[in-house]
Amino acid sequence: MMFRVICPNSTSRTTRLSFQGVIVCGWALLSLGCGAGPQAEFKYREATDDLISDAERSVKSTLKDSFGTPNELVAWERFPINYGGIKGAVASAAGDKAVIVTLEGESEKIRNKTPILWLTGSVAGDKTPLVTVAGFNAETKQLTLAGVSELPNAGDRFVVGFGEDLQLGRHVYMKNCMHCHGVSGDGDGPTGQFLNPRPRDYRNGQFKFTATKSGEKATRDDLHRIVKYGIPGTYMPSFLLLGERETKVVVEYVRWLAIRGEFEKRLVAELSSDYSETSIADSVRKAEAAYAEKKKNKEEAEKPLSANKVAKAAASEFAKYSKEDLPAAIEETANLLTDAWTRAEEPDTVIVPSIHRVDDTAESRERGRLLYMSDKTKCYTCHGMTGRGDGAATEDFWPKPGTTEKFANRGLHDEWGNQLKPRNLTLGQYRGGRRPIDLFRRMYAGIKGTPMPAFGGTALKDNEIWDLVNFVMSLPYSSRQPSPAAGGNMAKLDEKPAH
Amino acid sequence: MGRFWALFFIVTAVITFVVSWISPSMGWWFPTDGVAVFGMAQSTLGRKIDDLFYLILWIVSVTFVATNVALGYALWRGATIKPEEKVWFSHGSHSLEVIWTIVPSVILLFIALYQLDVWAAYRVRGFIKDSDGKPKQIVAVAEVTARQFEWRIRYPARGKTLKPIPQADDIYTVNELHVPTGDLVSITLRTDDVQHAFFVPELRVKQDAVPGKLIPVWFDTLVTKDYEMLCAELCGWGHYKMKAKLVAQSTEDFEAWKDKVSEEQFDDGYRKPAE
Ligand code: HEC
Ligand code: HEC
Ligand SMILES: [Cu+2]
Repeated sequence: MMFRVICPNSTSRTTRLSFQGVIVCGWALLSLGCGAGPQAEFKYREATDDLISDAERSVKSTLKDSFGTPNELVAWERFPINYGGIKGAVASAAGDKAVIVTLEGESEKIRNKTPILWLTGSVAGDKTPLVTVAGFNAETKQLTLAGVSELPNAGDRFVVGFGEDLQLGRHVYMKNCMHCHGVSGDGDGPTGQFLNPRPRDYRNGQFKFTATKSGEKATRDDLHRIVKYGIPGTYMPSFLLLGERETKVVVEYVRWLAIRGEFEKRLVAELSSDYSETSIADSVRKAEAAYAEKKKNKEEAEKPLSANKVAKAAASEFAKYSKEDLPAAIEETANLLTDAWTRAEEPDTVIVPSIHRVDDTAESRERGRLLYMSDKTKCYTCHGMTGRGDGAATEDFWPKPGTTEKFANRGLHDEWGNQLKPRNLTLGQYRGGRRPIDLFRRMYAGIKGTPMPAFGGTALKDNEIWDLVNFVMSLPYSSRQPSPAAGGNMAKLDEKPAH
Repeated sequence: MGRFWALFFIVTAVITFVVSWISPSMGWWFPTDGVAVFGMAQSTLGRKIDDLFYLILWIVSVTFVATNVALGYALWRGATIKPEEKVWFSHGSHSLEVIWTIVPSVILLFIALYQLDVWAAYRVRGFIKDSDGKPKQIVAVAEVTARQFEWRIRYPARGKTLKPIPQADDIYTVNELHVPTGDLVSITLRTDDVQHAFFVPELRVKQDAVPGKLIPVWFDTLVTKDYEMLCAELCGWGHYKMKAKLVAQSTEDFEAWKDKVSEEQFDDGYRKPAE
């Protein structure tokens, strides 16, 4: 299995793939580095570095082969990412170095020397030399080629400038986003550590403010809105003047980083329990403790293997695993991500209320208030009786997800382990957007990756959510100011209605 | 050698003068993007500020030419003086000192008094007269909040007036300030964090946003187009990111735009299910 390096102004190069035959086709290597600033590197997760050396090497080379480096991106075609380029097909030959083509979409300008990737036909395949554009006539649709040994046939499909969008996205990202979100999208850029909330770590594949149902990824549209309008109340700024194309491609790049990050996370999680230094040390320790225990009770016991021997055994086991099961694990992870990100773009995934917003009347707000104070929603436990984000939950110590160990600090935390305050609803500042539909979606699907739960579908009916939206949206303007006499706490929010 | 330096400084002064003189016609001047003539300001007050600027430029130019002629003359005379000629020392000349004290003072005093009107128009009172001679009403269009590193803008709903406290039907935008062309509009400038400065170069409007203060800034726009809007106070590492857009549009377009934004902002997302 070969890769093709496509780099404007450079020649092709082929490299070998470490796990043969896993992915049948659809790899193309984009060299996006050509003269593009200083060398940047993708960082690996701590869990990746914790793997035993063979496993670590294997994971890292898989990542490198599938995604490349920041300066030499690799497009793994199976993922639903718009890598960019103009698709087309050969209509007929025109002379010995030119063809008449049909292009998909607008064929504004095709720059000379743009590489052409052949998808089908006798010229397709990795062994053919790099073909580039030597000229294009937009009127006659005649494409003159450079570097062809044999002319493609009519019907052969190709992409001109494959990967250009990802390349531009990388460029926009490095210029505008990297210093907060980091080269790898881990939220650990040079300025990131000084911000609260921290810049998003994309590598969980998780985004907070989405239009999709709970458990689903973000749509392109969601990310587009975030980049355009920023997240008020946080350091995520608005990039309104970035330009439509730049915004579009940087969103693709963010999605691509998210996929790369989650691919690493899932693959490593697959291996960690058996092939990490920590798990091996753990099992050695446990075996020794059991042995000591038995010895103490004067029971018959076999001396456990030395740490060295266990490590060796793990290494040889991994050698077997990497031949037999690893390709399948990679395939499965890639499939899972492809499905999830494809599903996010399907209309059914997006939350659309089944009814119009309930009229914003005093009665509706009152119904909303009662829901807010009810044990069905428990909104008040987090957002507080007066909506100031100071509910009782902010005083408790919470366990880390999936463990019994508690966080060192009081209050809620998000999936990234950062301390998180429930929103102060009296400020009228909504990070995910202030449209009623935005708030509806926040309550319907929760805020992903945070303790803010999903209420839609099961717990609350759509009309109830609208009542809550009306109530929440009235809070910043409500005349129910908390009275100082009540200790700044609790106005009359928890009072029962008069009727 | 003396002659060389005399010539050197004379030629330098002449080159400086010529380059400055031709620079407007060469486009080495205030930014111009087609509408403006020689980078002329696009607001009534901006043009008055420009007039002041040009007045001062004239005064400075005349002074520059006069001093350089005197300097050139003195250098050349000194370099070519014959050994037997007697030199004239001006040092300690009482009448000369009186002259060069009084003349600049008069000029400075004149500038100080002459600019008062523009200053007052910029900071204290409205300045544009309607056709009937009455001062134009100032329309409060929006509250502009600078923060690291963006501009967040709040408008009253169509037909409403801007209130100091947010209202439920207010309209919000970010990095895009819309105003009706021709009207004398004012914004309330504030900051969420550190000091910033609201700056629209083409309108010659510049005002610091100071923490804890609500500062009214008023201006009009003479041409319907997009203007560059910047932060002019180094406010942190992301200072350069605070570039935004000021959109001047006709009153009808402005109202229509408000309707559009309001509709989007109150979108409830309900879409008739496709049959
Ligand atoms: C000044 C630092 C900063 C810069 C620069 C920045 N971001 Fe962010 N970004 C943040 C912070 C902080 C958050 C997290 C906000 C939160 O958790 O509510 C965030 C969150 C996000 C999110 C997640 C939204 C969600 O729904 O979860 C996306 C996507 C994003 N940024 C994209 C970008 C892109 C693209 C750029 C560059 C064009 C960029 N950011 C530049 C600080 C920054
Ligand atoms: C377990 C605690 C918890 C409960 C229960 C809870 N929330 Fe939240 N809520 C949060 C947290 C935490 C955030 C902030 C998330 C973030 O921005 O990262 C939040 C954010 C919000 C926001 C802000 C959305 C935005 O775009 O800024 C709204 C509105 C909201 N919650 C309403 C509600 C309502 C209404 C209920 C009850 C139906 C509720 N919440 C129940 C924890 C909770
Ligand atoms: Cu600033």
